[in-house]
This record gives sequence, structure tokens and C-alpha cells, in this order.
Amino acid sequence: MRLRSYLSSVILGLCTISSATAASWGFDDGSVSIHGKKAGVGAGAKEKLVEKKPLVKPITLGASETVKVLVTIKEDKKAKRPHQAFLRLEEKQSHLETSYAFAVKESGKGKVEIARKDIPAQLLASKDPLSASIIIGSFGTTKAYYSHAFDLVLEQNAESAVPPPEKPLRYGKLPEIHHKFRADPTSPPKIITLVFTAAVLFALPILVATVSLEWK
Amino acid sequence: MRWLFSCLLLGALGLVQALSSSGSRLLVVIEEITDKEKYSRFWVDLEGLGPALSPNRLLEFVNRNGNILLTLSGDSPTPTAISSLLLELDIHLPPDRTSLVVDHLNYDTLSASEKHDVLLLPQPSALRPDVRNFFGGDGLIAFPRGVAQELGNDSPHLAPILRAGGTAYSYNPKDETENVEDPFAVGEQISLVSSMQARNSARFTVLGSVEALEDTWFDAKVKALDGKQSKTANQEFARQVSAWTFMEAGVLRVGKVEHHLSSTNEKVPGNDSVFQLGYLNPKIYRVKNDVTFNLELSEYAYDRLSPLTILPADSLQLEFSMLSPFHRLNLQPILHTPNSTVFSTTFKTPDQHGIFAFKVNYKRPFLTNVEVKREVTVRHFAHDEYPRSWEISGGWPWIAGIWVTIAGWLSFVWIFLYSEPAYEKGKGKKSQ
Repeated sequence: MRLRSYLSSVILGLCTISSATAASWGFDDGSVSIHGKKAGVGAGAKEKLVEKKPLVKPITLGASETVKVLVTIKEDKKAKRPHQAFLRLEEKQSHLETSYAFAVKESGKGKVEIARKDIPAQLLASKDPLSASIIIGSFGTTKAYYSHAFDLVLEQNAESAVPPPEKPLRYGKLPEIHHKFRADPTSPPKIITLVFTAAVLFALPILVATVSLEWK
Repeated sequence: MRWLFSCLLLGALGLVQALSSSGSRLLVVIEEITDKEKYSRFWVDLEGLGPALSPNRLLEFVNRNGNILLTLSGDSPTPTAISSLLLELDIHLPPDRTSLVVDHLNYDTLSASEKHDVLLLPQPSALRPDVRNFFGGDGLIAFPRGVAQELGNDSPHLAPILRAGGTAYSYNPKDETENVEDPFAVGEQISLVSSMQARNSARFTVLGSVEALEDTWFDAKVKALDGKQSKTANQEFARQVSAWTFMEAGVLRVGKVEHHLSSTNEKVPGNDSVFQLGYLNPKIYRVKNDVTFNLELSEYAYDRLSPLTILPADSLQLEFSMLSPFHRLNLQPILHTPNSTVFSTTFKTPDQHGIFAFKVNYKRPFLTNVEVKREVTVRHFAHDEYPRSWEISGGWPWIAGIWVTIAGWLSFVWIFLYSEPAYEKGKGKKSQ
């Protein structure tokens, strides 16, 4: 028994060592920058990206600006072209997401540029920052890389305002409607009515009295 | 037993198709609960059709309330007839006729450690909080060599049953490029199993991988990237999908529809506060009547009718409308019978006369459509339904005026008739 357990722990140890040395995808020289036609608030901002460490401060994307992400992809310290290299933008509230493919050269250098107009309308309307992650993967046993890289804040101002996309018809419950009834016809306060009724009723005796006075 | 039968059907039809439409791995399974004979003629027609299986015939079939379960395979090219059929329904297939969905982070390491084309997906959760989930569970589904579908955004009839993970994408294996530059669809926008329910409630399901239905995958052992080994839930998922497609699950039936005049007594709580006056389902009501509407609904599940439960985030609504709804009210369940639930609400008819209709239009993803319409007339107040004149306090001066005028005239007549002209004494003649 003891020998068995000793052997199994040795095997387990070897296994962990071998998995630690398994190949995995990653990147070097990562950077994210904003390019725009004019010098806006975020234009010219450039930040370095490091594997598995998301940026603390979010990047702001203005109205007519483009965000450019550059990476040099490597498999275990060797620059290589993977099959899949995507930048994934996700909206945190609704979990809507889309991915943009990096254009990767033979040397492993990848570049992706996302203009404001490339972002789908459903994500553009978001008030929260979009979370951007990098996905690098390929066939074979090499471990793929998927980690949050930075947050992208969409600057909402007058010139960047895009009319929200028309909501498509979806079956679901509709708001309740309660018919508002017309007000019932009302009478004036009773005291006014009584005064005038008394005036009308007393008109007859007053008339009789006046006429009989004339006769006499 | 039911499931066994449809399994056989799948197999038999597969053979037929392999013989008649060259090389295509298309399996079309057509089955309806009540009328199998109607569709056995269709099968005979199908054998004769072969490559002439046109989108028009299949759409005609759906229009005649037939249900279709269509499976695609990543191993062989999808016929253009199928692509154009699906385009009619606003389901988009990749333009390259061969395509595969891969995911480098959620694949089965036992069978696809190199190619990553066997996706491991958890059984899906509800689409929205107000939509019933017929495909849920705790297991993992193995999806080998699937074809991605992208659903158009405009149609309310489409609903994805199983979506790929956030890191999946679709690519063409015949494409020689080393890295994929412009994938057809990525992430959760890829729908691997899509459903379409037409306005007549006929169902059309597209299953992206026919291999997921194979016996080997029904209880295969799979191992995810994180090392966890488990058995696939493919059999349960296949049963759920075919049960939904062939009208064994998510079918609603309307029972009794009743409406009547009622009197409400607010002092009594709950449903007892409403008391029926007169007979059931009259054709005519009056403006500002208290009316109660009762609707009995059941859900058909596998082989029996059972009471329908509406999810808390959802509601069954009644519209009382002429050209547009004057009232839209949530129906509350008041009674559960062994086979059904009775929903009811009480309201005041609007102060507008005309021809109104009680309308219940309950359409939800994955449930058959319920449309109930009952027309009634709403009339004005009758002459004797207004308050009497002396009850209206504002009218008292006018009533007093009328009576004073009558009294004044009568007293003048009496005085005139019974009064003498004044004569002078001793003359005997009228004084001038």
C-alpha cells in the first residue's frame, strides 16, 4: 500500500511538472493606442499591454477615433502565427459581444484597428465601459490564451451621438393599459342650489302680495 | 417508446437519403403527434424527390402545420437548396459550403485534442427571464463538427436553442490560410441549434451537427481543458430538442372561454368578491358595466394535459379593444384543475359605445401561439338608466321654476274666474 501511494504521488508529481512545461500561446510588445483626425481628449494615448495583466485605467474612444492594438504573438517565446487571434469586446450588462480578428503577419506581429463605426450599434449605446479581451489560440495541444486586456470607454457627446438602433419586435408582455374614464357630470354645491331654489319658490307669494296691494 | 420510434425514423430516412440525393448527409425527420398517416405519404414523396427537394416544398409543408428537424454536418458540404431554404427563414449559413465551428478553449481533449472541433457546451439556460427553458440541465453537451448559423435580428419567430461559447468561431477547413482573417461568425452570435416557430405554431429546428445524435456521442466520456471528466448529456438534449420540435413539449391548449356581467363587493377578499349576474357569454354589455373574463389554459407535455404556470416575469394579458386596446390587463390564475389553469380578471367596460373584442394574444418563444377573440357590443345607457331628475341637485331651481309657473297660472285662473268687477253703489251700472 505504501509503495503504491508513493508511486502514485511520484507519477502525480511528474504529471504536474509536465503540464507546467506544456506550450502556451501568449504575446509580447503589446500596445493599445488611440488615433484620431484631430487631437481629442484621448487621442495620442498609448498604453503597453502585458500578458494576463489588464490595464487599470480605461481607454477612451472619441467620436471619429480609432483604437489600434498591436501585439507580437508567440508560442512559448517563439514568434508564430496562430489560427485565431481576436480582440473581443463585451458589454457587461447585456453580455452582448463581438470579436475582431487581428491581421497577423508571418513574423507573428498582429494588428487590429477598430474605428467607432465598426462597433455594432447595440454596443455603442452602452454607458458602461466595454471590456476588451484578447483571445489567441490554434490547433494542437498548445494552451490558448484568453484574458481581459483593457476597458474601452465610449465617449458620448453631441457629435458622436448615434440614434439608438430600432428595437426589433420580440414577443413578450406589453405594458398594462387602464382606460381613463370621463369624469361623471357634477352638480354645483348644494348651498348655491338651495339659495336659488328658495328665490324661485318665494317669487310666487311675493308676486301675489304685490298685486293684491295694488288692488287695495 | 416515442423516442425509440423517432430514432428509427432517423435511421431509415438516412438510408433513403443517402441513396437518392448523392452524398448529402441531410436528414429530414417529419413527425406529428396526431396524424402520422398524413406524413407517411410525404415520406413516399420524399423518396421520389431526391435531389429535387426544393425549399418551396418544405415551406409548403411548414405552412400546412408540419414540423421539421433539420440536421447539418460539418463533414460534408451543405446543399445550396438547404442554404436557400434557411435564408427564407432568416437563418444564415456560412457562404463557404464546408465550414466548422472550433473553440480552442472549450473542446474535448479526449477526442479532438488537435483539431478542437468537438465543442463542450453546458446545457443552455433560459433566453430571458420571461421565456421558458425546455433545454436546461446540468450536463455538458458534446458538439462534434458543427455548422455555425447566424440568426437574423428582425424576426421574432427565431430563437437560438444552443449558442457557442464566447471564444468559438467558424472557419472553412479547405481554406489554406494560416490565420483566420474574416470569420463568418464568432462567439455567442453563433447559434449551433436554432429554432423557428411560424405564426401557425409549426416548428422548424436546425441542428448544427448530425454527429451529436450518434449513439457513440450519447454516453461518451469527455474531458474538458480543466481536466474534469464527465459523461455527455447528448441523449437528454436530443430528447429535449426532438420533443420540442415534434410538439411534445411547449404546446398550449385553450379550454373554456367565458365572460359575464358581474357585481363586485370590495369587502370580500380575493375572487369571491366577484359575483356573476345574468347568464354566461352575453352578446351585449353596457358602458361602465363590471365584466369578468375567464380563460382556461392547459399545457400539453409528452402525453397529458397539465395546468399552465406563467413565469413570474411574464404575464398573460387580456385586451379589451375596439380599434386599439382600451384595457390591457394581466390575467391572474384563480383555479387549478387537474388538467388546466383558469385565468381571470374583472374590469369596467369603457365609457365608449361600439363593437369591442376580448382578445388574448399570447405568443412567446418556445410556446405555441394562443389567440382568442370574442366580440361583444357595448351599448349606451338606456333612457331609464340615468339618475332621476330630482336626484340631480343642480336641477332643483329649474324644477322649482316649473312648479312655480304651474301654481302661478292656476292661481291666476282661479282669481280671474272668481273675482267680480267693482260696481258703484245705487247706480246699477258698471262704473266707467
